[in-house]
Amino acid sequence: MTGTIQNRDAFLGNIATQLGREQKAKVEKPEWKHQPQRRVLVNASIDELLEVLRVQCEQIHTDIVETTKEALPAAVDGVVKAYGGGPLSLWKDERFAEYGLSKLLETDWPSQQIEVNCWDTSLGEKNIELAEQANIGITFSDMTLAESGTVVLFSSPDKGRSVSLLPTHYIALIPKSTLVPRITQASDLIREKLNNGEKVPSCINFITGPSNSADIEMNLVIGVHGPVKATYIVIEDC
Amino acid sequence: MSMKFSKKNFADRTKDNISDDFMRQAVASAQERLHGRRLDAAEELGSWEEWRSHGEEIRQHVLENLDFYLYQLSENVAKRGGHVFFAKTAEEASNYVRNVIKEKDGKKVVKSKSMVTEEINLNAVLEEAGCEVIETDLGEYILQVDDHDPPSHIVAPALHKNREQIREVFAEKLDYHNTSKPEELALHAREKLRQEFLDADIGITGCNFAIAETGSISLVTNEGNARLVSALPKTQITVMGMERVVPSFEEFEVLVSLLTRSAVGQKLTSYVTALTGPRDEGDLDGPEEFHLVIVDNGRSEILGTEFQSVLQCIRCAACVNVCPVYRHIGGHSYGSIYSGPIGAVLSPLLGGYDDFKELPFASTLCGACTDACPVKIPLHELLHTHRRIIVEEEGRSPISERLAMKAFGIGASSNPLYSMGAKVASTAMKPLTKNDRISKGPGPLKEWTDLREFPAVGNTRFRDWFYDQKGGK
Amino acid sequence: MKVSLFITCLVDMFYADAGKDMVEVLERQGCELSFPKGQVCCGQPAYNSGYVESSKSAMKNMIKTFEDAEYVVTPSGSCATMFKLYPNVFKDDPNWLPRAQKLADKTYEFTQFLVNVLQVENVGAKLTGKATYHPSCHMTRLLGASEEPRKLLDQVEGLEMIPLPNAHNCCGFGGTFSVKMGDISEQMVDEKVNSAMATEADYLIGADCGCLMNIGGRAERVGKPIRVMHIAQVLNSHE
Repeated sequence: MTGTIQNRDAFLGNIATQLGREQKAKVEKPEWKHQPQRRVLVNASIDELLEVLRVQCEQIHTDIVETTKEALPAAVDGVVKAYGGGPLSLWKDERFAEYGLSKLLETDWPSQQIEVNCWDTSLGEKNIELAEQANIGITFSDMTLAESGTVVLFSSPDKGRSVSLLPTHYIALIPKSTLVPRITQASDLIREKLNNGEKVPSCINFITGPSNSADIEMNLVIGVHGPVKATYIVIEDC
Repeated sequence: MSMKFSKKNFADRTKDNISDDFMRQAVASAQERLHGRRLDAAEELGSWEEWRSHGEEIRQHVLENLDFYLYQLSENVAKRGGHVFFAKTAEEASNYVRNVIKEKDGKKVVKSKSMVTEEINLNAVLEEAGCEVIETDLGEYILQVDDHDPPSHIVAPALHKNREQIREVFAEKLDYHNTSKPEELALHAREKLRQEFLDADIGITGCNFAIAETGSISLVTNEGNARLVSALPKTQITVMGMERVVPSFEEFEVLVSLLTRSAVGQKLTSYVTALTGPRDEGDLDGPEEFHLVIVDNGRSEILGTEFQSVLQCIRCAACVNVCPVYRHIGGHSYGSIYSGPIGAVLSPLLGGYDDFKELPFASTLCGACTDACPVKIPLHELLHTHRRIIVEEEGRSPISERLAMKAFGIGASSNPLYSMGAKVASTAMKPLTKNDRISKGPGPLKEWTDLREFPAVGNTRFRDWFYDQKGGK
Repeated sequence: MKVSLFITCLVDMFYADAGKDMVEVLERQGCELSFPKGQVCCGQPAYNSGYVESSKSAMKNMIKTFEDAEYVVTPSGSCATMFKLYPNVFKDDPNWLPRAQKLADKTYEFTQFLVNVLQVENVGAKLTGKATYHPSCHMTRLLGASEEPRKLLDQVEGLEMIPLPNAHNCCGFGGTFSVKMGDISEQMVDEKVNSAMATEADYLIGADCGCLMNIGGRAERVGKPIRVMHIAQVLNSHE
């Protein structure tokens, strides 16, 4: 469904008049004179990017756990227990199976009375309620920005915005292969998708650690409206 | 709250604030902390000057082609099912928002921080229409709970309050019984506000940057409140100043990097969220309906003038955080929701000289603001441009000053006249001079000597000594 | 090297000693000095207050006065900055623009001239004690002379330099600001005086007499015993 647009002609006509010209129907972006962002960490190896991420995690008050694919279930289980267990809120994401977490999700945790709630479109709004009551939200990172220590999440019907937002704690699963230097590469990827005719997801989140605020005397308080603690689990996959 | 929030004049506001020790201590320590953090962030990035130049060229290009990018933005928002409303005035903007809410039968509105909604007086309009409006940014929340205390900083609106004052406000209004520890205060706000997010029917956000190519809007926060405002209510209304558009994600990421580093010295804030239209088909969270309100409210009159560069602003407050005048008088002295150097340039443009003509003079033209600006707005030059217009075109300076400046123009252009003046001054000041200094000066000198000693005119002026020693050359 | 002195109003009338010290330092470096007689004020007080038109006659007078100079050297970062701004003031005046540009191009603040033109950092000065340096705003930010004074001061024998806390903050002078906005200026200069006192330095050194008059005048009024010196005075000390 297409939305409405009101008052546009007069508004834009006035802008053109103020700028002393006719309204423009087409503008080519110029070749930018400066592109410093393209040089940041551009020659870093994946291991060097991981080291940058490690250091940055200290800055953003985020724990980082590194593990192999084989040891991943134990690592995730460890962090979940350290955060006090369930209920858990997860995306519906085939990567959980790909990375060997099915047994943990479907058998181990339920048998230990740890409630696991995967995003389920058939449940409708109930998903949000479950996420809100969850102790921990777990998602994969679609892209990971080493410089800033950021996980990039693309939303979709199976990947609700609430999972990384409403629970008290947040765990991001980061395949090492998703590491890129910085947000520059993420914006390149988004534009690439666009050029290939793909739709931009309705919500793209760049998440850098737990929520925080410095509104009281400019003192940093970790944990305000979003998760109060966050852990990144980096999975050796390349 | 509209842009202007005080009936007092600038001198009285300044006096009030200078005597507020809590505020001054809070501002000074925040400035010092942020100063270091911002410099560290810039240094760590390397080639900071090149980053600034890139930020500047992007912003300049957008302003020169603003009609095109707003057209593209609105097309792409509509394509994704969002509704776009172009508002020429503050009233048009706030009335549109009110009408949307009315149509939805909305009762409870949660808001994330937005300066432009302050500018268009939105909360008052909505409250008058019977809505409950809740600010969810911690700083804004504190101010709202404290009987709508005005913001004193564009990034940290409650900067003028210390933790003890905040505790008192919470205790009085929110039944708070804990200590003044920031962690405990923040936790209380979290608990109070979480239910509000879940209950609200309408979410209102500002917009850090809108992305023309995709029709996206973006929200940059640390708290996550803007994510909640845009994830839970069924209707989302985003209000943006018309200049806050960028061509594509390519430029967006550069400006976000400049913003977060300059504002708080972070590489990125905890949450940078890019939202495109309402929720997609099949999505379970995010708004079902999305409205974008694009506000002019005086901005277009700045385009094409010598003040155009002020619209490059990305609202990082780096200029505020380095300003030595703001440091001592705080945000409330400016009498505008836009304070500090950017406020001293912008407020007279959006609000007129009648209310804000003193602001451009509340600066030593030290240039710290210009130096700090990540998109290279020549702030101190724009302050000077205001001064020129105020005294030369508007004739708003006192007549005594104008006469003095006229005399200066004559005297300072001719050596004989200047020398004569200097001698007269020297003779006139002789009786006031004690131990080579003047402690109680007459006329305009009084303002100086009320605070400081003034040096006596030397027995020999340099020029006389030079001729005497070296011969007339 | 032929150098024309642009001495500034404040040095001419109130701080002639600083001017004399500058003369001696430059002469020792082999400069041949002249004092173009027609010089008055650079126009900054009126210009910064917004009276651009009223300040133009003073500016034109200065352009004419220094037309024949090879180098123009001044003991003030702020007044040098004003000369550098002339081309901008006359940007729409085809007669005066090239002349303004010529003046701007050949103008140097004293320490810039020593370090960048004469290429000297050690002028053989000696002064015993602890000192702190106030980097004036116009000189540092607008003129871009931030390293030159420090390089010269580092070479002064017997002088221990102590960093000034919050050195980057303006002292509150700002020309007419100091009297127009006295309440605010007072707070700013008090903080500057207190910062200087906190260093326990014997001397507060600066390169702009406006700032020094402000900081020194306030320190004296509130009875804070710190000696304020222009950098030329330091560089011409040989105790």
